[in-house]
Amino acid sequence: MNKYKTLHNPAYLKIDLMLNGIKADNETIQRLGLDLRYGYTGVTGGLDILLPHNTWVNASFLEEFAKSSKYELVLRDKKTFIKAGDESVKVDIMPKPEFYKLSTATGIPLSKIGAMHGGYVAITPDTRCEFFNMNIECRYCAGNFNSGGSGRVYTVEEVLETVDAANKEGKAEIVYLSIGFSETPDGGIEFLKPYIKAIKKHFNTLVAVEALPPKENHFIDETYAVGADSVLYNMEIFDERLFKEICPGRDRLIGRERYIDALKYAAKVFPNGTVATHLIVGLEPAESTIKGIDFFTGIRVVPILPIYRPSVGANLLNYKVPSLDDVLPVYRDLYHAVKKNKININWVRDISVITTPIEARFFAKTKFNKTLMERFYKTKLGVKTAWGLSTLRRKLRVREGGEG
Amino acid sequence: MNVVIDKRPIWVILLSRSLRPLFFVVVAIIFWYLVSIPTPDGLGLEGQRTIALFVVCLILWVSGVLPLAITSLLAIVMVPLLGVLDKKAAYALFGNEAVFFILGAFILSGAVMHSGLAGRTAVVIMSRFGETPKRLIASIFFLAAVLSFFMSEHAVAAMFFPIVLEIAKGLNLKPGKSVYAKSLFLALAWGCIIGGVATFLGGARVPLAVGMLKEATGINIGFFEYTAAAFPTVLIMLLIGYFMLTKFLPSDVEDIHKIKAVFERKIKELGKIGYAEYAVGVLMAVTIFLWLFLGRTIGIANIAIASVVVLFVFKLVRWKDIEEYVNWGIILMYGGAITLGAAMEKSGAAAWIANTVISEWARSPLIIIAILSLLTILLTEGMSNAAVIAILLPVGIGIAGKFNLDPRIITYTIAIPAGLAFCFPMSTPANAIAVSSGYVTARDMAKAGVLMMISAWVLFNITVFIYWPLIGIKI
Ligand code: SF4
Repeated sequence: MNKYKTLHNPAYLKIDLMLNGIKADNETIQRLGLDLRYGYTGVTGGLDILLPHNTWVNASFLEEFAKSSKYELVLRDKKTFIKAGDESVKVDIMPKPEFYKLSTATGIPLSKIGAMHGGYVAITPDTRCEFFNMNIECRYCAGNFNSGGSGRVYTVEEVLETVDAANKEGKAEIVYLSIGFSETPDGGIEFLKPYIKAIKKHFNTLVAVEALPPKENHFIDETYAVGADSVLYNMEIFDERLFKEICPGRDRLIGRERYIDALKYAAKVFPNGTVATHLIVGLEPAESTIKGIDFFTGIRVVPILPIYRPSVGANLLNYKVPSLDDVLPVYRDLYHAVKKNKININWVRDISVITTPIEARFFAKTKFNKTLMERFYKTKLGVKTAWGLSTLRRKLRVREGGEG
Repeated sequence: MNVVIDKRPIWVILLSRSLRPLFFVVVAIIFWYLVSIPTPDGLGLEGQRTIALFVVCLILWVSGVLPLAITSLLAIVMVPLLGVLDKKAAYALFGNEAVFFILGAFILSGAVMHSGLAGRTAVVIMSRFGETPKRLIASIFFLAAVLSFFMSEHAVAAMFFPIVLEIAKGLNLKPGKSVYAKSLFLALAWGCIIGGVATFLGGARVPLAVGMLKEATGINIGFFEYTAAAFPTVLIMLLIGYFMLTKFLPSDVEDIHKIKAVFERKIKELGKIGYAEYAVGVLMAVTIFLWLFLGRTIGIANIAIASVVVLFVFKLVRWKDIEEYVNWGIILMYGGAITLGAAMEKSGAAAWIANTVISEWARSPLIIIAILSLLTILLTEGMSNAAVIAILLPVGIGIAGKFNLDPRIITYTIAIPAGLAFCFPMSTPANAIAVSSGYVTARDMAKAGVLMMISAWVLFNITVFIYWPLIGIKI
């Protein structure tokens, strides 16, 4: 029996799908026209499905564990449904973007450079992470970021070609730039600066940056000044002891305190709701994640709660995939905490690989209605307005040093 | 990338941004009002317009809304537009000797810095004499002062800053807490400030004052003459400063042998003294000799520019190396200030202000000197010391005319105190540099600075009263 009626609650369904994946037989895969050459495996490589209430999910369907999922993808009269037992719900499958088929002038497939996740195009120009070379990589990390120190660094031009192609398809509302760990005091922002500048110069798109907390706050000022509209310093684990254990690199070379200080400072520099940190659900007790949620929302930082899906290659042992029962209290708290602290939740939305605070409202006992603002920000005009306001705010707040 | 994020609420930022255009509208209205009211008795139309322009420049210089140089350029443009001087005459004033002296001084000072001579002198002397906490303070303080006799005090402060910072770090002094660190950085700032008023070379403001005097009255002040008038104030202020640094800020450090290594490393880094250092040293010595003894006959600007030419003939520096030391903003500012000063004088505006506004409180020459020097010393704490001169000197020269005072006295009365800004980081770059270290707070600086400011004013007036008559300056 489905205790939570997950099929009819998009957030429940999203989490369940993220945890357990979805079955899809070969015939369905063929009829859907999924081209398996474009990486449908890995942490973020599943199938992007648009659930009711505009909720995106990235669900695994090729991995072993997905074969025993209670959900099944079915096609009826050219319409797609997710079926569980006798019930089903209509969904849309997002085909892999057309630009995945293209390559840069230098011959690199754009699908290697940019990955679409809902309304985001995620790009990691340098896929290396030095934690791996020092044996202090995050224990849950499957090395999806890392190429053992030999990864190709994509040039600004290659990244621009990717954003351009995504933009032409109308799929680059937000460009999400990230970087692994390198032993520099700036947390990687100096490396990302030319990319941010170039994207801002050529496209009217918002840019989110995922980096490591820099040693000094002026790098955070510069991150904002150079054009980042949102910043993420992912602490991943809130519990002090588990942070040390699971994220030894982050602990030793950056430190928990610095994560907190940098996020606190960034929340004063960036607009409300645009500074975020990941807290991985399931890698620490729910109470500890809840503590983290309450703490971060208290300093106006948005906690983003991905669920850890076991991946081949990660050396996290004894990991037990949490159940829906385990994670629900956490998401409920997320919604109430963001509301209580008046954090703008329109920014972190439409991401298929994590559960956003906006979606967390489906766990609270509120109606599913979208707010007026939420509706507006989904329109073309809303996207343009968000970009315009963000640009205007930066113009007003940033002053060149020494100006008199 | 050097950015500052304004974290005030957006509405406050928007309001403050909209204040700027509003400010200019208000300034324009003030200008329009001053030129359109009936011309007061004793003042011609040109004088009235010049006063209106002067008020506008005063507001802009004091508020700092426009860079000082741009306000000066505005003055140059407006003087002919208002019909006070013709175009040719207004722009010709920009070719004033003082402007070229300042240019030459910037280049020479840049050569001394670039050759490494200044840095070497500082490190060698500090390592030789700075063996105890007090002696180290004394070496920084007196050395910064003496170097500021010969080159821009701002350049001296900038040169000393990394060395003093390394000393503070080498001694593990706590920023904002250590009393010794405070005295180290205050010694640096005060040394530069006090030393900077000793000669024409410490800051460009003295040549500006002298240039303005010459344009307005045709009277010249020589290098030696100025130094003779300023020197007792400098000397006694140095003693007072040293007393304050060691008595009011007693050292909380006993042993400073650790920094010996810092000096040794620095000396090693400098290597042996090179040809350029020798040559620049000799050229500087000859230049100063000529300024002192032949300045009146040859002209100090001629000497400065000739020395600059020699620098390049012997390839002691390249233009590229020197460019960063030449503050073009200050040069433009001075050109404009001199033009405006001359317009004030020639249109009769300065004399009119002196007659009507100032004659109320000006009962005797000594009171005039006391009040003008007080006004100067207070204004210079809050604004650029060159701007203080640009504002006060034209009026001061008018006052001199009314009371039959030697205008040179008024020039000294404004030029010397204009350099003595001790209280705030914005008063002068040397203070800003000290506070930027993080070891001295703006509060520490203000507390100690107020005492220095009062001492400077009292001392200056005593010097005027007792010493000036002895060297033939009759009041
Ligand atoms: S920072 Fe951690 S999660 Fe990110 S790539 Fe490096 S090891 Fe993996």
